[in-house]
Amino acid sequence: MHRQYLDMLSAIVIACSLMFVTVSNALAQPILEPWDRFEIVKVWCSGEREARIISFQSLLEDVVDADAPAQQWAANLIGEYRDGNFRCARDTVYIPNDEQFLDVITGDRFKAIPDDAEKPFLNIPLRRALAPFASAVQLVAAEAPEERLLAAQGLARTLGDVSPALIESIYRQEKDMQVAAALEDVLVPAWLKSGDTDAQLKAISTLASNYTRTSRAALDKFLDQKTENVSEAVRTAAESARSSVHWVVQLSEVMTVAYHGLSYGSVLFLAALGLAIIFGLMGVINLAQAEFVMLGAYATWFVQEALRALAPGLLEYYLFIAIPFAFLVPALVGAFMEWSIVRHLYSRPLLTLLATWAVSLLLINLVRVTVGTQNLSFFTPEYLKSGFTVFGEFSITWSRLLSIFFAGITLIGTLFVIYRTRFGLRMRATTQHRQMAGCVGVSTRRTDAMAFAFGSGLAGIAGLALSTIYNVNPTMGTSLIIDSFIVVVVGGVGSVLGTALAALGIGQLNAIIEPQYGAVASKVLVLLAVILFIQQKPNGLFPRKGRR
Amino acid sequence: MRQFILWICGGSKIDRRYLVVLGLIALVTIGLPLLGLGSLASSPLGLDGFQVNMVGQVMAFALLAMAHDLVWGYAGYLSLGHGLFFAVGGYLIGMHMIKLSYVGETGVPTFLDYMGLTEFPAYWSGFEYFGYAFLAVIVLSALVSFLIGFLAFRSRVVGVYFSILSQAFVYVVMLVMSRNDTGFGGNNGIADFQTLFGFSLGSIEFRVAIATISALILMIALIGLRRLTTGPLGKLLVGIRDDEDRLQVLGYETLWVKTGIWCLSAMLAAIAGLLYVPQIQVASPQLLSPIFSIEIAVWVAIGGRGYLYGAIIGAILVNVVKFWLTRFMPELWPFILTGSVLFVVVVLRNGLMDPGPLFTRAKFLMSWRAKKEKV
Repeated sequence: MHRQYLDMLSAIVIACSLMFVTVSNALAQPILEPWDRFEIVKVWCSGEREARIISFQSLLEDVVDADAPAQQWAANLIGEYRDGNFRCARDTVYIPNDEQFLDVITGDRFKAIPDDAEKPFLNIPLRRALAPFASAVQLVAAEAPEERLLAAQGLARTLGDVSPALIESIYRQEKDMQVAAALEDVLVPAWLKSGDTDAQLKAISTLASNYTRTSRAALDKFLDQKTENVSEAVRTAAESARSSVHWVVQLSEVMTVAYHGLSYGSVLFLAALGLAIIFGLMGVINLAQAEFVMLGAYATWFVQEALRALAPGLLEYYLFIAIPFAFLVPALVGAFMEWSIVRHLYSRPLLTLLATWAVSLLLINLVRVTVGTQNLSFFTPEYLKSGFTVFGEFSITWSRLLSIFFAGITLIGTLFVIYRTRFGLRMRATTQHRQMAGCVGVSTRRTDAMAFAFGSGLAGIAGLALSTIYNVNPTMGTSLIIDSFIVVVVGGVGSVLGTALAALGIGQLNAIIEPQYGAVASKVLVLLAVILFIQQKPNGLFPRKGRR
Repeated sequence: MRQFILWICGGSKIDRRYLVVLGLIALVTIGLPLLGLGSLASSPLGLDGFQVNMVGQVMAFALLAMAHDLVWGYAGYLSLGHGLFFAVGGYLIGMHMIKLSYVGETGVPTFLDYMGLTEFPAYWSGFEYFGYAFLAVIVLSALVSFLIGFLAFRSRVVGVYFSILSQAFVYVVMLVMSRNDTGFGGNNGIADFQTLFGFSLGSIEFRVAIATISALILMIALIGLRRLTTGPLGKLLVGIRDDEDRLQVLGYETLWVKTGIWCLSAMLAAIAGLLYVPQIQVASPQLLSPIFSIEIAVWVAIGGRGYLYGAIIGAILVNVVKFWLTRFMPELWPFILTGSVLFVVVVLRNGLMDPGPLFTRAKFLMSWRAKKEKV
């Protein structure tokens, strides 16, 4: 086994054992009288819902004034209860711990527990009521600021039946800035309701520093209330805070839509580019293009599996290692397809359509038979997992950024190939005037074959970029082909920049329509828009120049 | 007699292959009630309900293929969206049959109940009458095809563009119809039909009747289209296919010819759908799947474009093989389909009705080999 795995494994083992040690130590020490402990767990195991909530409340109140070990005990107890680890016996409760069972009342350990010990039933309303109490106890008991921050964030979701006054007293003693800030979020509703001008101003300034939709909604709600006890200063502060929050929220919404549009547009661009080049050169629509996207994604998967087996250390970088494979596999298949089928059909584009469709059917079924129909699972490298928040609610995820990055690189690379290489020169000549290019010595058939392979390879790169954000299965391409053809039509045949612009435009249109009206409506509207567009500009954004 | 045959052939010459196909369909039309219903039904030659059903479905597909061939083989426009019109006919006759089972009753089918409706929406009214439903099939398919055809032909969408655009239409409509809140049962479509014309859909009488009617309509449509395509309009269509610019220069307004023939084809496809759905007893977005629409083109390509009867042969051949294979070896079917498409497209490029390319190719290969041996 590779070293990295061993490291990870040992880290997990250490973490687990540490956790068990703290749990067992805390629960093993007698703090409250055993009788009190029994009272608590008895209610938690079989009491009515109201009784259990009252018990949580009294536990929380006791914990605030208790000493540190008692706080630890209570925090662990309520945590285990929330996680469903209680085993209620007749006169005590056991908790599974380190392959043993811990009696929470006496702190004794047992190898086995009575057969009639069973899990207490926690229904959804009870879970909901329990969550804020568990967070609050954790907030009081936890030593590490990170844990307290987590607890405060839990409380910010809902305060439930936890009394705001208690949280406020915790807030006053809080030393850590981050935790204090999180607690301010928790306390805002209470402060706003309090009627005290200072508290209200404080709440408003807290809300004004959070550019989120929830904070805008809270301010809206506050301004809508026609209560008498709101002073003029508070009202004006709330109004200015609301307008600034509103502005940022709107901007971040626009940016989010634009970013999603950009990411979808880049996927469309990658899928359509090869199609556009082949169509521009040979007047042939390759209906198997979407299956080359699928082949690219499968090649990426095979590279990942090979790395996992042979060199797990490089697994993190499989997306980059896979680039040549994702390009070459579809390119080779495309070259073979051109040689065996497409070149016999150059004068009959409609039959080529059917032939390429047959090939796409063949590829789908070959993959289905050999690999299977299930979605492939891709390993997500650490550096792609999260993202960062730019401002307000506008955040950028790395995986989407990667597909935009791939699209940009592909655009530059393709432009380079077309405008700066001999092959590109021959391709442009053949696209503009096939006979004339042939007359001056360009081998048009060979150019066709190479361009076909090149376009197929580009589709494979699209598959690589898609593998991190889409489901990868044999039929993943079927919905892609129509979208990418529409991109080609709008962009103008054989124009790389036109394809890029059209892809971005259609991506944006999709991103604007989809959140409001749904995916189907966006497809319908985009198609209608494209049909109206063709009425005006039948040859696309960048019509081909030159005579034919 | 010769006059009559010439009238059927629609030209000045007698076309034997056409007459053979026509005769075969006539044989099916007569044979179905004989073998399916009478005393022969229980003899070894007799057909059971499943077989009758299969013949009927194939007849509906053949009508659909012929409608497709009218546009592709004659006008030169490859439609990859004929499933749209087929589905118009299918869904509307489905609405008729649903409405029939709710005559005199309150309540609505489950898929409408699911949407929170307690009675049929306004656009369902009148569908309990077959005449109205039939009219709706004709009018709606004509309307839809006119919109698509007029917009596409007006802006001179040709060739591959037209093919993919028609495919985009059928794809988008499939997405719309797959939604539950469109009101047509979403992915499952509309089903649970009971009767049509007072027959129970499952009865052998109904199956034989609808299969016979399908064959009869196919026969009538074949004769009608044959006379149409051998006449002046047919020449015009072939002209459009081969050199549209020249026709326009000569003063023909090709836009209307194309739109007209496109609408006619769409209406025939809708009638095929109308005949098909009562036989499979469900109208679902499957009819609208892009793959089905491409398959229609495949039938025509395999049979041979521009003969009408070629499309019929193609549809019958492919579907009989498909019925048989999907019953015994479902895994093999896509590969067989791929193989036959590639064979027809690359080697036998005009379809089975014109084996010429096979021979010229063979001759070419042989002469090439001979030359090589000499050298």
